[in-house]
Amino acid sequence: MRAGGLPLRSLGDLQDLVRRALLGGPAQGVVSLIAADGIAPEARLDIYRHHVVASLTAALETTYPVVCRLIDRRFFTYAADAFIRSHPPTGPCLFEYGAELAGFLADFPPCRHLEYLPDMARLEWALNVAAHADDAAPISPSALESVAPARVGELRFAFDPSLSLLRSAWPIDRIWRANQAEVGAEPIVNLRAGGVCLEIRRRDDVVGFHELTEADYTLRRALLDDERLDTAAEAARGVDPALDLAGLLGALLQDNVLVGFSLAPGPAAPA
Amino acid sequence: MGRDVTIGARPDGALAGAGIGLRAPHVADVITTRPHVAWLEVHAENYMGGGAARHALTRIRADYPIALHGVGLSLGGADDLDAGHLRRLRRLVDEIQPVLVSEHLAWSVAGGSYLNHLLPLPYTEESLDVVCAHVTRAQEVLGRYLLMENPSAYLRFEHSPIPEPDFLGEIARRTGCGLLCDVNNIHVSAHNLGFDPVAYIDALPAGAIGEIHLAGHSANDADGQTVLIDDHGSRVAPEVWRLYAHAIAAFGGRPTLVEWDTDIPALDVLLDEARHAERVASHACRGAASALAR
Repeated sequence: MRAGGLPLRSLGDLQDLVRRALLGGPAQGVVSLIAADGIAPEARLDIYRHHVVASLTAALETTYPVVCRLIDRRFFTYAADAFIRSHPPTGPCLFEYGAELAGFLADFPPCRHLEYLPDMARLEWALNVAAHADDAAPISPSALESVAPARVGELRFAFDPSLSLLRSAWPIDRIWRANQAEVGAEPIVNLRAGGVCLEIRRRDDVVGFHELTEADYTLRRALLDDERLDTAAEAARGVDPALDLAGLLGALLQDNVLVGFSLAPGPAAPA
Repeated sequence: MGRDVTIGARPDGALAGAGIGLRAPHVADVITTRPHVAWLEVHAENYMGGGAARHALTRIRADYPIALHGVGLSLGGADDLDAGHLRRLRRLVDEIQPVLVSEHLAWSVAGGSYLNHLLPLPYTEESLDVVCAHVTRAQEVLGRYLLMENPSAYLRFEHSPIPEPDFLGEIARRTGCGLLCDVNNIHVSAHNLGFDPVAYIDALPAGAIGEIHLAGHSANDADGQTVLIDDHGSRVAPEVWRLYAHAIAAFGGRPTLVEWDTDIPALDVLLDEARHAERVASHACRGAASALAR
């Protein structure tokens, strides 16, 4: 027992109490363990609490500048505070923090009316992933020459880890461009202009995105989800029966987005 | 520890002179202008992905000695070390071949949450065992010695019977690690917790000090009292320069780094601070030598 009569806490218990207090939980248990030294323990703990929330909010703003701009920094700070409490980081690399923000915003009552906002968060997360993903060398187009023609349909591909695919019911590409610092007079984006399919990736250290056709998106989405080539092709034909499959596959190889392939056995595509 | 461990923590190491903490806004500037500075230090966690940042670091490594400063191992955490994070740090160490690798006497992870702050420990025998076990484990995985940095503090726990310099000295003695003496942190903590910063420096084991950090701080109000905040957002304060001169006189010359993390100014301002650190250190060394000669 301590002199004050409180039981000694193990280091793990103490750190768990501090964690809860810093993330908005009750602080009484910690406060009683802090020496006053002329300044109230609550005020001392507040210095840490402020830094935790402010620094993580800054990290989220770095990853989500357009979301922040769209909803105004003050509201972003408010939303970030709630997000940080419910979704604190799980690791120390802050460029990996905030993947769940899109889902959080979709369920956050104060911004439910901004229906395109979660997709904008998804686009900014994909750009962030693209900026920091590990490097991977693409396969050369000739690498597939060893595959017997009869087995081409069984191919599965590994994609450049910087690549994401995103389909939105909103023109998020145009909204994103309209909210870049270098855009002078802000153009007006018609929210009813229709949706878009995007591929986001890094190329030669430059991060960007471009639009895909619905069929190309479907093909790449299926392959990214580890479907066989014949299954993916079938799905793409479902979108556009007249699609130029050979052309799309050629483009996939020329784009340097494939970093590996396999002929591992798996469920056969429906005939 | 294996016999192949590289000693990166010794005061007679390859680094001489003052370096600067390299932050993202200055990376392109450093690559294009190649400024005259003894060495550079980066936060390890900012370079654990691929892409432009990592490629830039590889280029800069060709021109400058690089020190890796970790902020995320949570060596004072009661939880097990994050083995995945430690592996990523090892990979970065293997690629960058840093001259120094440092971490903090602090914790930042509990219950699976990373709190993005270097949080204070109660200085007890239990904490000492935890930190020493983690430092030993990290040094085994990294294959080299760490430097452990003293934290800046805004609170101390009622039950914290071991003085911080003794705690640091005991970590160094038990694990073989070196120490990173952050002079600004000592000044900030001394003000906030009410101890004598000079006595603190004099209580550190001089032979274990492998690096010194300098940075600016700000003053804020808490509960009607002034607290100093270690925000790395301004030039080094005059009191910290004086304390630095005392540290150099006490330890001898040590690789010294100027850090600046908020309101980051032009690169020239940091370079100017580094040159000033070299002048202060050289003056302090001469002063110490002439005092010895008398």
